[in-house]
Amino acid sequence: MKYVIVVALLFVLFSLGQALFYLVKGKGQSGNTVKFLTVRIIASVVLFLLILLAMKMGWVVPHGIKMVPAG
Amino acid sequence: MSEVNADQYFVPHKARWPIVGSIGLTATVLGAAHVLNSETTVTPWLMYAGLIIILVMMFGWFGEVIKESEEGLYNTGVDTSFRMGMIWFIFSEVMFFACFFGALFYARTLSVPWLGGEGTGLSTNEVLWNGYEGVWPTNGPAALGGHFEVLDPFHLPLINTMLLLTSSVTVTIAHHAMRANHRSQTVIWLVATVLLGAAFMYLQVTEYIEAYHLNLTLESGIYGSTFFMLTGFHGMHVTLGAIMLAVITVRVAKGHFKPDRHFGFEAVAWYWHFVDVVWLGLFIFVYIL
Repeated sequence: MKYVIVVALLFVLFSLGQALFYLVKGKGQSGNTVKFLTVRIIASVVLFLLILLAMKMGWVVPHGIKMVPAG
Repeated sequence: MSEVNADQYFVPHKARWPIVGSIGLTATVLGAAHVLNSETTVTPWLMYAGLIIILVMMFGWFGEVIKESEEGLYNTGVDTSFRMGMIWFIFSEVMFFACFFGALFYARTLSVPWLGGEGTGLSTNEVLWNGYEGVWPTNGPAALGGHFEVLDPFHLPLINTMLLLTSSVTVTIAHHAMRANHRSQTVIWLVATVLLGAAFMYLQVTEYIEAYHLNLTLESGIYGSTFFMLTGFHGMHVTLGAIMLAVITVRVAKGHFKPDRHFGFEAVAWYWHFVDVVWLGLFIFVYIL
């Protein structure tokens, strides 16, 4: 499950990077910038919901829970 | 600047704001370093003075650029230089956060397990830190800062993640409204974004107070250092992004942007998305995984 979360985060980063590419390219590419930013936020919300589901189902246990800090 | 030739690269002359910014940044960093490294309690007056100089610079520099832009002094060459400036700024930001995330990964996956005896660290553990278990989160084998507890990710960090994600949704709606030439809608969604950013910062401060009550401080070894460095610098970026968004909101209200010409707006909107993605990374790697 950890790997799914990391891959989803990489996809979010990739969309953000594509939006940046079109942002700095200019020349009437504003439509592509907003398109990839929209993809980025949709993917981020899906990733967040996935994390919530993973925690609820116990697929991922946050290290803040049931944890005795060393030292 | 007396006249503008189309497509000629614009080199500003008599620019005084860069040196003011350099003085402000130097004073801030020196002041902060002095406070952090002092044995006794020091009033961070130099740091505050630096921050005030930076704010004055932002106000002055932003104002000058906006004025020149509105006077029609900028040609396509200037437009290109703004875009190049943006890519260098973002490159430095990515490198900046890569350092701190890199420090976190190095400590978590390499150095702490070595001290606990993993890999080639068996003798290190037996001779130097016998009995130390390299389990994350940790303040290291010397237990720097004493016993601490970590924050519950289901509480404030979760709410903060929702706040920032929502703010990215609102800034995206504003972006679409801008391109559709709906000025009042753009302003409303931008104001909502700034307010959500402010709410995030309020909760972040609340979380720090809670952390100090749990004895999780900047002194708490490697976990305390990485936690406060990553979340603290991210918080500074949220503050900066919110200031820039507020400026852009005023500019949108004044009609400075057109549906086909709004690089200033788009660059700040992208920056807000960037800050949100950094938080998502923080939420996953600092609080969850």
